[in-house]
Amino acid sequence: MIDGTHATLLAATLALAASAFGQQIDVSTLPPREGVQLTIYNSEDLTLVRERRTVTVAKGQNELQFSWANTLIDPTSVEIEFPRAKGGSLEVLDTRFPFDRPQALYWNVRSDFDGEALVEISYFTSGITWSADYVGVTSDDEASMTFDGYVAISNNSGADYSDAQVRMVVGTVNLVEKVRELAERNLLRQQTGGVPPWQKEEGDKVLEREAFKEAIVGAARPNDELSSFYFSSGAPPEIVKEGLSEYFIFTVAGTHDVKNGWANRLRLFEGTNVPVKTVYRYRPMEYGEQLVKLFLVKNDTASTLGDSPLPDGAVRLFRRQSTGGLSVIAFVPTKYVPIGQEFEFNLGRDPQVLFERLATRTWRDDFWFKRGNQDKLYSPTKGDRVNENDTVVGWSDHYGRVERIRNYRGAPINVEFRFPIDGDVTFVSSLNPTLFDFRTPDFKTTVGAGERKDLAYELVTRQGSNATQNAVKLEAAK
Amino acid sequence: MHSTRHSTRHATRHLGGALSALIALALLAPFATPTLPGAAADVKLIALPKRDRVEIQLDVPGLTLIEEERTIPLAKGANDVVFAWANTAIDKSTIQFRCMSDPENVQVISVSYPPNENALTWQVSSPTAGPAKVRISYIIGGVDKSYEYRAEAANDEKKLTLWQYVQLHNRTPESFGEADMFAGYGERLERPIGANETRKILAAKFENVPITKTYTADLAQHGYLDPAKRQLKIPMHYVLKNDAANGLGRFPLQAGKARIFIADGKAEGEGTTAFLGEDWAAFAAKDDELKLFLGVAKDIVVTRTIERRDRKKTAGPLSDYDIVVKYEIENFKDQPVSIDLAESIAGLRAEVLGDAPRAIEWVLGTEGSLKTPDALKSTSDRVLFHVDAPARGADQKAQKKTETLNIVLKNEW
Repeated sequence: MIDGTHATLLAATLALAASAFGQQIDVSTLPPREGVQLTIYNSEDLTLVRERRTVTVAKGQNELQFSWANTLIDPTSVEIEFPRAKGGSLEVLDTRFPFDRPQALYWNVRSDFDGEALVEISYFTSGITWSADYVGVTSDDEASMTFDGYVAISNNSGADYSDAQVRMVVGTVNLVEKVRELAERNLLRQQTGGVPPWQKEEGDKVLEREAFKEAIVGAARPNDELSSFYFSSGAPPEIVKEGLSEYFIFTVAGTHDVKNGWANRLRLFEGTNVPVKTVYRYRPMEYGEQLVKLFLVKNDTASTLGDSPLPDGAVRLFRRQSTGGLSVIAFVPTKYVPIGQEFEFNLGRDPQVLFERLATRTWRDDFWFKRGNQDKLYSPTKGDRVNENDTVVGWSDHYGRVERIRNYRGAPINVEFRFPIDGDVTFVSSLNPTLFDFRTPDFKTTVGAGERKDLAYELVTRQGSNATQNAVKLEAAK
Repeated sequence: MHSTRHSTRHATRHLGGALSALIALALLAPFATPTLPGAAADVKLIALPKRDRVEIQLDVPGLTLIEEERTIPLAKGANDVVFAWANTAIDKSTIQFRCMSDPENVQVISVSYPPNENALTWQVSSPTAGPAKVRISYIIGGVDKSYEYRAEAANDEKKLTLWQYVQLHNRTPESFGEADMFAGYGERLERPIGANETRKILAAKFENVPITKTYTADLAQHGYLDPAKRQLKIPMHYVLKNDAANGLGRFPLQAGKARIFIADGKAEGEGTTAFLGEDWAAFAAKDDELKLFLGVAKDIVVTRTIERRDRKKTAGPLSDYDIVVKYEIENFKDQPVSIDLAESIAGLRAEVLGDAPRAIEWVLGTEGSLKTPDALKSTSDRVLFHVDAPARGADQKAQKKTETLNIVLKNEW
């Protein structure tokens, strides 16, 4: 099995004529399973099961039956191969999906010989999932942390897999149809005597999916007591990490029992002395209208990490107190992190760092006027005389602004700003800004412990006929 | 009017030895008035011929043609041949009767359609008594085909093996026995197809098909992966060309689901494959490309920003807009990759200027690092460049490569 009674492979040799109309095949043998491999994907509810069995075939045409009662196997994915067959000695002529046995198929196999043949059967199943989670404990000064990764495997597929090699794939696979829906389509056909799934209420489907999701999420909660991995080997098994195409494959050493309804949690890696950079950012595009605190960590060997990408998952962050105890910093999600990339934990607002955006002054200048229907514009700044009935058509607004930070922490903090400004604008300051893009200034500063710092700048926004661009220019304050 | 000479009870039997055949073909004695199975009629059942063979023509999507051959014993003179069916979506107007053994002399004199019955009666004249081979053809619903592909890439992702399967779906309660099927191209397939049964058959296998793996950065087509950070979504594809030079090109590749695997690179006999994903493969005519979507790259990071937007007044209300688009590329893989960097001119214009109901006049500026677009694949609306991104270094650092594209939008107002 797929153990027990869930999925079976039966072999029968038949005369060609007898198989022609899909007659039921009598059981002849139930070949023993020689190995099973589970490749579990975390981006989709998908597991590729590959199992090997030896069947006895007769020269001529053979019919092999494969059936899978009460499991979540996608019938369209079931395939058979003959790994050690000499070229062309075994050939699948066709695959038959009979109506009267919804969870079964028959392979029509031609053999050049009488004897035993190794077959490898692969299929997708739903209901086996894995997920990553992390625990980080920072030093008291938050300059470094221990950072441990875990993987949790849960099986709600309806089938037990004994002595299975377990592989987990890190990366996103594209599926055009959900495995569970394909499996359920078949199950439903069996249960309802042929009522196709598309006749079901959509609401029912949603509820089913939600119920399943809840079951999976619930089952995936780490529970070391349930770990047959630990029991079977007596020690945490090694997890071998290998890259393949765009993916990383974590292979759990040895074979393990993956039982239906059980969850297992294994340690993926231990980061022992991971440098942590703390930064505060005001970037409304990324973090909303607030100054947030971030931990920046690199997934590389210099950080005692970097032997694989980090799969997305939940992170629990704690701070080690000088007393030896822990305090909670945040529970946050993290996205997939490639090897070598810096990643961040958004810890939200820091109550010890206060941030205010102040408008300090507003004034106007560089007025341009239009007189009657004349095309010519008049500027008092250029020495033109203007009349009371002239119309204002161009001017420049000046806004004095201050970004104020009060740091009540016991150490200096680094603060970074990046925010877009619309219009034809000059950003005048002594803040040594750069441009992130044509309308987004970017600047940074350090605020000492207990210090209040005001970052002042002036925005000159050209209006009316004065506006010729829609971009920000940087200008040093005089 | 019923002939008084025939007074035996009507009988209906399944035909062809199938599990649940519901198409009945009955022969009535010469000059018998058409009478239908299921109707209370007194007719003599002369013979109930089995199908000799069945052909299923699946070459026209949505119009599946069944042609069945039977040998019927005809009496000299006129014979009534009744054709009836139940629970099967046969298009009555398409049913044809042809005599293959003596088409010159065995002729259909008339066809009668009784009201409210899925049946018809041919009145057939025969110059002699004896067996005649006839072919009955009709369009049927519920019998169709679909295609499925399995693509297995070599570990280095330079070549793949492509299996094409045709799946024959019989959603009718009629069994067609050992049917000769034609899917529209390739070899004819001879397989039994039972009632409500699906058959999956390997139609073609192509080995060592060269592939190109592409990474595409194209904001207009694929959008952002992380809009706040201006990080573009980078879809990956295997691109195959359906021509003889690339081991394909025997026929158009029909649309169907493709499951994509990759060899894990272990020794022969030891290795297995890993599943990479699946895609709906679009129809690929001969000489056309087939692109199989592999998902979104997570180890290639491309951020795109508008570095410059400079309006230059030219004449009257007219202005040129000098725009520099900056791409920062980081490859966190341990293999170098080539990235297809595409920019939609209409998308760029909308982004920096808004929409305008006029064609866009533009030139490539001189200041960008991207100077030579792919001439074959670039158009007036989309400019495409190929950019190499080096693998991350031994220190695991990804080298940040910056490319700039200078586009000048001309004569805007």
